[in-house]
Amino acid sequence: MAEASYTAPLATRGLGERLVDALLSGRGIWPAVPAIIVLTVVAVIPFVILLSLGFSDMEVSRGAIVSQTFSLQHLTNALTDPLYWTTFQRSMTLALTTTALCIFFGYPVAYLFLIGGRWTRRLILVLTIAPLLTSGIVRTYAWLVILGGRGVVNSTLMSLGLIDQPLRIMNTHWAVLIGMVQIHLPVMILPLIAVMSRHDGRLVEASANLGASRLGTLRTVILPLSVPGIGTGAALVFTLSYTTFVVPQLLGGGNYLNAATMIYEQVVYSLEWSKGSVSSMILMVTCLIVLVAIALVTNHFTRWTKGRDA
Amino acid sequence: MMQGPTGPATSVATTSPVLRIGGVGKRFGTFTVLDDCSLDVAEGEIVTLLGPSGCGKTTLLRCIAGFWDADSGSITIDGQDMARVPVNRRPVGVVFQSYALFPHLTVARNVGYALRMQGVPRAEAARRVAAALETVSLTGFEDRYPAQLSGGQQQRVAIARVLVMEPRVLLLDEPFNALDAKLRGTMQVELRQLIKSLGLTSIFVTHDQEEALTMSDRIAVMRAGRIEQAAPPDEIFDRPATAYVADFIGSSNFWPSLVADGRVSLPDGQSVATGLRGAVRVMARPHNLQIAPPAAGPWQGRVAFQRSVGPLVEYHVETEGGDAMVKVVAMRRAQDRGFADGTAVSLRIVDPALCAVYPA
Ligand SMILES: Nc1ncnc2c1ncn2[C@@H]1O[C@H](COP(=O)(O)OP(=O)(O)OP(=O)(O)O)[C@@H](O)[C@H]1O
Ligand SMILES: [Mg+2]
Repeated sequence: MAEASYTAPLATRGLGERLVDALLSGRGIWPAVPAIIVLTVVAVIPFVILLSLGFSDMEVSRGAIVSQTFSLQHLTNALTDPLYWTTFQRSMTLALTTTALCIFFGYPVAYLFLIGGRWTRRLILVLTIAPLLTSGIVRTYAWLVILGGRGVVNSTLMSLGLIDQPLRIMNTHWAVLIGMVQIHLPVMILPLIAVMSRHDGRLVEASANLGASRLGTLRTVILPLSVPGIGTGAALVFTLSYTTFVVPQLLGGGNYLNAATMIYEQVVYSLEWSKGSVSSMILMVTCLIVLVAIALVTNHFTRWTKGRDA
Repeated sequence: MMQGPTGPATSVATTSPVLRIGGVGKRFGTFTVLDDCSLDVAEGEIVTLLGPSGCGKTTLLRCIAGFWDADSGSITIDGQDMARVPVNRRPVGVVFQSYALFPHLTVARNVGYALRMQGVPRAEAARRVAAALETVSLTGFEDRYPAQLSGGQQQRVAIARVLVMEPRVLLLDEPFNALDAKLRGTMQVELRQLIKSLGLTSIFVTHDQEEALTMSDRIAVMRAGRIEQAAPPDEIFDRPATAYVADFIGSSNFWPSLVADGRVSLPDGQSVATGLRGAVRVMARPHNLQIAPPAAGPWQGRVAFQRSVGPLVEYHVETEGGDAMVKVVAMRRAQDRGFADGTAVSLRIVDPALCAVYPA
């Protein structure tokens, strides 16, 4: 480093100074040390405690843990309980469907962003970011207004004479799915837009020049090049919707049981912390498995970015 | 402005041109980028668009390729008007300034892209890709990605990718820009030979005049959206149609003068005939001047600066009375080391007939 010659010789510098230096410009993990400390305190330690709850038998007397011995009992209980299977399956299906629908509805928006002019682009950006500025709870409540018995959808359909009775949309699987897709759509669109705005317009021109139709260009050039965006978006949407609590709770009317609502009930209502701990762990592990799968698929389709220096 | 004269030796008038650009105009808002550009390109001919940055070269190429629509005029290929033909159906291949290779496709798939889009059967496509790669000497690089290639190799992929679709017209927008000077020189010669051997009708864009002289059958000199002169390199160099072309191509000396009795007098006392009247500007190339030890004669000066350009020496001579610095090019002479700076010299025009006269 050229700057090294301007700083004082090592011996005359204090420990604090050297530490700051290492944290700001050191090699290896030094710059990550502050983040590691914070994460250890707020995430790793609580997580270890949580795990210890799920993998031990405890004797509790007067609100204090008296003895704690290692046990896989809670885990085996959970894995043999059909309720767990159906609940996690429901969560998984919901999250995967949401992710797929977000790609399906988000991609055309991103494509529009790519081919659109300056104003189209601005409009898309504003419409994508604006919902993120309001809380998810508010947006979820908005769906109550729209999908409810006397909501916009039902009153419109009834005034058009298409239906006699209000459809029951609220508190169903469909309400949850609609809400999930809408709430998570921006999270899918933003990474896609990020990829699209880095896109080289000359590639589209080159492909047209080589005889590709618009659809051909989309399929063979734009789509493959936006795979990283799809991967990022899918990972985000999946994680958020697999672990979501608010949407199923509000739009499912309290009787839509997914992983998060189940953990909530175990911990808050029935005070079975060990069960809650095991459920959380299953949630996390299954989530990680899917994320790894998404990463592998994304990797497979972006092989060309590797070996730049081969 | 007038179209440069195209002598009988150069115009391939026996067959109709492959590409005909007729009075093409293009504006962005109120800014006119192309103004009534006309140019015919004959079968197998390489025409270079040469002009300073921003004069509209790329714009004209983009109109031919169909990325932009011209506001006026027509573009026809093989007699067919291109106005209603979409980009992907034009028989035009473009080699982009930055190559625009598909980064996610291997060399073989980049080159085979056009065939894939046309639905050419796999076996035939593979054969044609292999042939195209062989033409540009890239056999063995099929499975590399563009990022794993050098600049020169990328450029050859870009060329192969276009060749494989057998275009009627090949457009190349400054294809050597990203290459270093030495590689550029070799690639220029190679590319010209390749295009010639394939007999491709081409338009080549550059703002480097040496490149234009190397590559072209004809050079079209552009200025602010207009084509000032389109003629073979020798003609552009020896008989530039306008003062602008003379100034732009090669180096030149200009003197203001007056026409008297149909003749313009030159600084060394000789004169040359002209059809113009009144105030004019006379141009002489540096190699048309002769530098000599001081002698009796009307044109005397003093060497102000000199530099060697290979086997030649370029002198800048301060002339007496005149304020202009005159450029003279002479062969380097081993025996007497030429004329030192500050030496008094006399100048003479070797062949007055090669001096050009333009309206002032
Ligand atoms: N999309 C556009 N909108 C407005 N003006 C443009 C646009 N594209 C090009 N121009 C203008 O048109 C003129 C010609 O541009 P063009 O790219 O054809 O120049 P060029 O001769 O290729 O220059 P260079 O040698 O620098 O590549 C320039 O003055 C440029 O500013
Ligand atoms: Mg250009």
